[in-house]
Amino acid sequence: MSLIEYDAIVIGAGVAGLTAGTLLAEKGKKVAIVTAGEPTACLSTGCIDFCSNMDNPEEAIAALPAHHPFHLVTKTQIHEAFYDFKRRMAGAGLSYTGDTNRNRHVLSAIGTFKTTCLTPETMQASPQNEQENIHIITFSGLKDFYPGYIISRLKNASFSTYDAGISTTMGLASLFEDENFLETFLLWMEKQNIRENKIAFPAVLGLESASAVKKTIEHRLERPVFEIPTIPPSMPGRRLFNCLKDGFRRAGGVIYWDWQATGAEKSGRLIEAVITGSHGRPNSLNAKAFILAAGSFVGGGLRAGHSNIVENIFDLPVFTPGKREEWFEQDYFSVNHRIGRAGIIVDESFRPVEGPWDNLYACGAILAHVEALKNGCGHGFALATGRAAAESLLEAGR
Amino acid sequence: MIKTDVIIIGGGATGCGIARDLALRGIPHCLIEKGDYAAGATGACHGLLHSGGRYVISDPVSARECFDENMILRRIGEKCVENTGGLFVRLPGDSKIYRERFLRSCAEIGIPTEVISSSRALELVPSLNPEIEEAIRVPDCSIDPFRLCMLNMKTSELKGGLSFTRHRVIDILKSHGRCTGVKAIDTGTGEVKEIYGNIIVNATGAWADRIAQLAGGEVPLTLSKGSLVITNHRLTNMVINRLRPASDGDIIVPNEAVCLAGTTSLAVEDPDKIAILPVEVDTIIGEAGRMIPHFNHTRIIRAFSGVRPLLKSQKLDSRESSRGFQIIDHQNGMYSIVGGKLTTFRLMAEKMVDAIMNAFSLKKECETAQKPLDGQEELSGYPLSKRLADMKNIVCECELVTRQDVEKIIEQTQTRHVGDISHRTRLGMGPCQGGFCTFRALGIMHDLEILSPGQSVGSLRDFLQRRFRGIRHALWGDQLREEQLVEYIYLGILALGKRSEPH
Amino acid sequence: MKFEHCIRCTICVENCPVFRVNPSFPGPKQAGPDAERFRSEKDKTVDHWVMLCSQCKRCDMACPCGVEPAQIILRAQQRYGSEHPRSAAHLLFANNFYLSRLGSVTAPLANRFAGAGIGKKILRRAGITTYIPFPEFSFKTMKKQTKAAGRGSRKVAFFYGCFINFYRPDIGARIIRLLESLNIDVAVPPQWCCGLPALGNGNLDLARYFARKNVASLSDYVDAGYDIVYSCTSCGLCLLNDYQGIMEIPRAKKIAQNAYDLHEYILRLIVEKDIRPAFGEVARCVAYHIPCHLRALKIGYPAAELMKMIPALECHLLDDACCGLSGSYGFKKTNEETAVQLGRRAVSLIRKTGAGSVVSDCGSCRMQLGGLSGMDALDPAEIICESLGIDVKGKKPAAR
Repeated sequence: MSLIEYDAIVIGAGVAGLTAGTLLAEKGKKVAIVTAGEPTACLSTGCIDFCSNMDNPEEAIAALPAHHPFHLVTKTQIHEAFYDFKRRMAGAGLSYTGDTNRNRHVLSAIGTFKTTCLTPETMQASPQNEQENIHIITFSGLKDFYPGYIISRLKNASFSTYDAGISTTMGLASLFEDENFLETFLLWMEKQNIRENKIAFPAVLGLESASAVKKTIEHRLERPVFEIPTIPPSMPGRRLFNCLKDGFRRAGGVIYWDWQATGAEKSGRLIEAVITGSHGRPNSLNAKAFILAAGSFVGGGLRAGHSNIVENIFDLPVFTPGKREEWFEQDYFSVNHRIGRAGIIVDESFRPVEGPWDNLYACGAILAHVEALKNGCGHGFALATGRAAAESLLEAGR
Repeated sequence: MIKTDVIIIGGGATGCGIARDLALRGIPHCLIEKGDYAAGATGACHGLLHSGGRYVISDPVSARECFDENMILRRIGEKCVENTGGLFVRLPGDSKIYRERFLRSCAEIGIPTEVISSSRALELVPSLNPEIEEAIRVPDCSIDPFRLCMLNMKTSELKGGLSFTRHRVIDILKSHGRCTGVKAIDTGTGEVKEIYGNIIVNATGAWADRIAQLAGGEVPLTLSKGSLVITNHRLTNMVINRLRPASDGDIIVPNEAVCLAGTTSLAVEDPDKIAILPVEVDTIIGEAGRMIPHFNHTRIIRAFSGVRPLLKSQKLDSRESSRGFQIIDHQNGMYSIVGGKLTTFRLMAEKMVDAIMNAFSLKKECETAQKPLDGQEELSGYPLSKRLADMKNIVCECELVTRQDVEKIIEQTQTRHVGDISHRTRLGMGPCQGGFCTFRALGIMHDLEILSPGQSVGSLRDFLQRRFRGIRHALWGDQLREEQLVEYIYLGILALGKRSEPH
Repeated sequence: MKFEHCIRCTICVENCPVFRVNPSFPGPKQAGPDAERFRSEKDKTVDHWVMLCSQCKRCDMACPCGVEPAQIILRAQQRYGSEHPRSAAHLLFANNFYLSRLGSVTAPLANRFAGAGIGKKILRRAGITTYIPFPEFSFKTMKKQTKAAGRGSRKVAFFYGCFINFYRPDIGARIIRLLESLNIDVAVPPQWCCGLPALGNGNLDLARYFARKNVASLSDYVDAGYDIVYSCTSCGLCLLNDYQGIMEIPRAKKIAQNAYDLHEYILRLIVEKDIRPAFGEVARCVAYHIPCHLRALKIGYPAAELMKMIPALECHLLDDACCGLSGSYGFKKTNEETAVQLGRRAVSLIRKTGAGSVVSDCGSCRMQLGGLSGMDALDPAEIICESLGIDVKGKKPAAR
C-alpha cells in the first residue's frame, strides 16, 4: 500500500521514460517516475540520433530488419514525438533543429563527424564537412578537450587558448553563467582578431543559459558559434536531461529520486505496485499501469550475469543472443556485436510478449533487437517508443 | 649504419637485464625489440617474484635460484618491488603429505617459512576463504614487469647503450658463416636499419626459434599458453598460492591497485596467434574463488594470455618441468638464451654476459646484484595509499597518472602509441581500461605536436582494437556496463566507428 | 565493496555542488570509488582533500550503479579525522550540542557576543566564518515530557533536533500543538544531539555516544507503541542512515523502521483516512527549497504534497541546488568561498520564482538562504500550522 495511487508509474528517467511520462501528464494523468540514479542521457552529446544508416532517417528506419521494434511505431507517432520534443525544448529555452527525413553532421572532439538528426541550438552551426574554416577556443588546463585532434584533420582550422583559471568542463560551464566572466571573456575574444568564419567551443557555454550565452558571443563576434560535444561530464547531455525533467514536472509529474525498484506487487495479470528500498521501511508505489523504461546495460535495466541476462524488477524473460562467448565479435569496431540485440521483446501495444502482464509496457533501450550502435538508434528511438508506449497505455485505459 | 659490440634481440626481462649487465660492464650494445618492452611473456605474467616455494618439490635448484634472486631484487629494486609476502594456503581436502614435503624441502633448500593458523591468516588477509586449514608464510614479492624492464633499460641508456623498440628483425647479416649484424625494419615508418655487432644475443623468448633460424641455427621450443585475469581492485595484499602440486588458477598476486589471478597451460603452435578462451576465464575464477571467495562475485577488468617458451627437451606439462634456463651457443656468433622465469632474469643475464665475456677473454665482474636499479627515484613507491596526497592534474583517474607523468614519457620516447604510455605509467590499466584517459593521452600528444595530421584517429582505433582483445572475454556484470559506456564515448560521442567520415 | 560497481560515468561529478565551484575538490568519483582502490586500513591517511566533501549525498542519489560515493567518502573522512589534528572549528562544531547548551543558558550574553564585532573576530580566529549571522540562542528550550498525555488514536515521540531546541523552540511547540490537533498524543522523550555535527567534524566516537543514548531512549518508546517523528530532515537521515551505517549502532534498524518525517506522518494519516485536516487559506507565494538530506531520505517530498492541499498557497519546488551551508560545513573558513558561491546560486534560483519567502525543512538551509537573501525562511511546519490556525502563546524570537 502506498501513500498515493498513480495512474501510471514510469521506471526510468531517461529520454524514453521522461517522454512517456510527460505525454501522460499532459493528458491529465497522475504520473510518477521512479529512477535509480540519473540516466545515461546526462552523458550524451545532447543530440537526437534517430537512425544513422542512411541520409534519410525515415528511409533508414523502413530498411531496418523486420523484427526491429522501430517498426512498431507508426510514422505519425514518430512525427508527433519529434514535434512535441521540439516544442517542449523550445519552451524550455533549449531549441532543437532538424527534421525526421534528413540526417546531418556534428563535428566531434576528435575531428570526425557524428551523424545525427536533431541538434540543440548550440550545435546548429556545426560544420558539415572538413573544408569549412573554423576557429576553436579552448581553455588552459582543460583536460577533456584537445583542439589538436581537430586541427590535425581539418585543414582550415586554428585555435587559441583562454586562461579561465578553471580546468573542468563543469567549472567552466558554471563560469559562463556569470555575466562578469562572460564580459571579460568577450573582450579577450575581440582582441584575438579571429579570421575564420565560425567559432567553435568545447561544450562549456553554460548549463541553464547556454543558448543565450551562445547568442551573445555570436552577436559580439558577428559570426556563427557552435559547441563541440565533450566526453563526460557532458553539459549538453545534462541540459537535455534538465529540460526534459523540468518539463515533466511542470506538466504535473512527480519524480522519486534514487528509488531503485527492486520488485513488484502483483495480483493475477496485473502489476499493482513497484517496491523500492529505503533506509527505514520499504517503499511501494501503487499505480494502474507501469512503463518500464529502465535502459540497457549502462542504464541498469538489463543485467548480464556470468552466462545469462536478466531484468530484475518484473523478472521479464530477456532475449539473450546466444552464449556469453557469442555476445561480442573479435573486431571491436564490428557493428554486429550480438549483445546489441539483447532486451525485452514487445508486441505492437508495447507490452512484453512473454508477459503475462496486462498493464506493463516497455520502451527505449531496454527493448530487444534495437542494435543501437549499428543503427544509430539513440534518443530518437527513445522519443518514438516512449510516446508509442504511453499512447498504448492511454488507449488501454479507454 | 650502426655499429656496436653486442646486439640483443628481444626486449623482455631477459633482454633488458642483459642490456643492463653489459652497460655496467662497459660493453657497448644495442637492443632491438619488435613491440614495446615486455611485449612477450614478460608482459603477460603474474608479476610474481617467487620465494621459490612453487618449485621446492619439483625443481629444488630452480627454487633456490628464485629465492636468492628474490632477495637480490628486493635489495636493488627497493622502490619497484613490493614486499607483499606470500601465503601458501591449504584448503580442506588438500594433501597433508604435500604439506610435509613442502615444509621439508623449503627447510632443506633454505627458504624461510612460517606455519600460521587459519585465524592468523585471516587477520593478515581478511578476504581469504574462512575454511582454510592453515597457511604457510613465504617471502613472495610482487613487481610490475613493465617497470622492471624500463628500469633495467635506464642503466643501459645512462651508459650510452642503444635501443630500438617497434623494430622487427627481418634478417641476420652474415659473413663467412658468422653473424655480423641484423637488418631491422621500423614498423612505424618502414625504414630498414642495419646494425652491426660482434655478438648477437637472441633473447626473444617464444620467437627464439624463428630468430635462430634466420642465422641458420635452431632452438627447439615448446610453446605453452598461460592466461590471467585481472580484478578491479586488490582483494589481497599478499600473494596467495595454493598448497598443492602446481595446477590451474592457483596463484593470486596483488599488483599496484589490482590483483592478477591465474594461470592455465595449453599447448600452442604460433606465439602470434593466441587468445584467451572463455573456459579458461571460468576456470581461473573458480579456482581463485576457492582461495578468496569474493573472486566469484568480483569484477574482472581484463583477461588475456601470454606464451611460455620452454625448451623442447622438457616434459610437455610445462609446470612440472624444469623452469631452469639454457644458453645455446650456435657457434656462429649468435647465442640464444631460453627458458627461465621473471624472478631469475638477472641471473640469466649474468650468465649470458659471463659467457660473452669469456668468449672475448674479457674480465669484468658482474655488478647487477650490487648496484640498485637506476631510475627508481622517479617512482612513487609503496604503499599505494601515499599516492592519494595530491590530486592535481590527473589524466588517468583510475590509476592516478598525472599530466606531467604523461608528458615526460612522450618527451622521453617521442612515442605515438598510447600503449607505450600505459606500460610506463599504468595509464588505462584501471577499471575503465582507458575509457577516458586514452582520449586525453592522445590529446596531450597533439598538444606536444607529436602526431602528424590524421594520425590520431588511426592511433585511437588501433589502441581500442588491441585493448579489446584483453577485455572481450571479461564482459559481464559491471564490466559489461563499463564497456557499453566506453563504447558510447568512443563510437557515439567521438564518432570513431566506420561511419566517421562525412559522405 | 560497492565501489566495484563504479563505471566512471561521472554523473556523480555532474551533481556535486562542491566540485562545481571548488577546484581543490576532485569530485565524488575520485574521492570515492577511485581513491578506494588505493586506500588501505594499514597505512596512514594522506587524503586531506577528502574533508572538502560536504556530505550533501547528491552523488549517492544520482549514481545509477549503487556505488554510494558519499558513504565511501564519509568513512575516509572519519579515518583522516581520527589520524590528523583537528582544527578549533572542527572541535567546536563537533561539540555543538554542549556549546549550544552553554549558549542557551547564557542566551542574551551569548547572542550579543556572537553578533558583536569582537565576537565575530574571535570566531574568525577560530576558523569560523561569519558571512551569515549565527542563529540566536533561545533561553527556553524544549521541555521533556516523558509520557504522552491524552487519549488520542496514536502516540508519537517527538525528536526535535538541536536547531529547534536551542534556537527555535517555538516551532517545536507549534509542531506538538499541530500533532495534538490531529488527535495524536505527543511525548517528548529524553534525547540528545542526533550526532551529525560530531560525525561531520571527524568525531565518530562522540557521534556514537549520542547515537547510543538516543537509540536506547527511543527504543523504549517504540516498544511502548510510540511512532517516532522527527522534523529536521538532517536529523532524520542521521537516525535512519548513519546509525545503521557508519555508526553501526545495534537496534538502529528498529528505530529506522519506526521513525517518520513529520510531514510524511501527517500525509500517511490523511491517506489512510485517519484524519481530515481543514486546511485554511494561506495567501503566500513561497519557494520550497528541498534540503539535500530530504532527497537522500528517499521518502519523496511529503511537505510539498501537504502544501498542495493548502488553498491559495503558491509553492515553487526547488530541488536542483544545494544551499551550500551543509550543517557546519559552510561555517568553517576553508569552505567559506564554496558555501557563499553555492548559496548565492541557490538564492538566485529562489528569486527567479518571484516568491516572497523561502521554505525548507532543514534549519541549516533556512539559516543560509534566509541569511544570504534577507528573505523570511520558514519551516514547512510553520506554513501547515498557519493553514490550520495553530499558534502558541509567547513571543516568536525577532527575525534577524
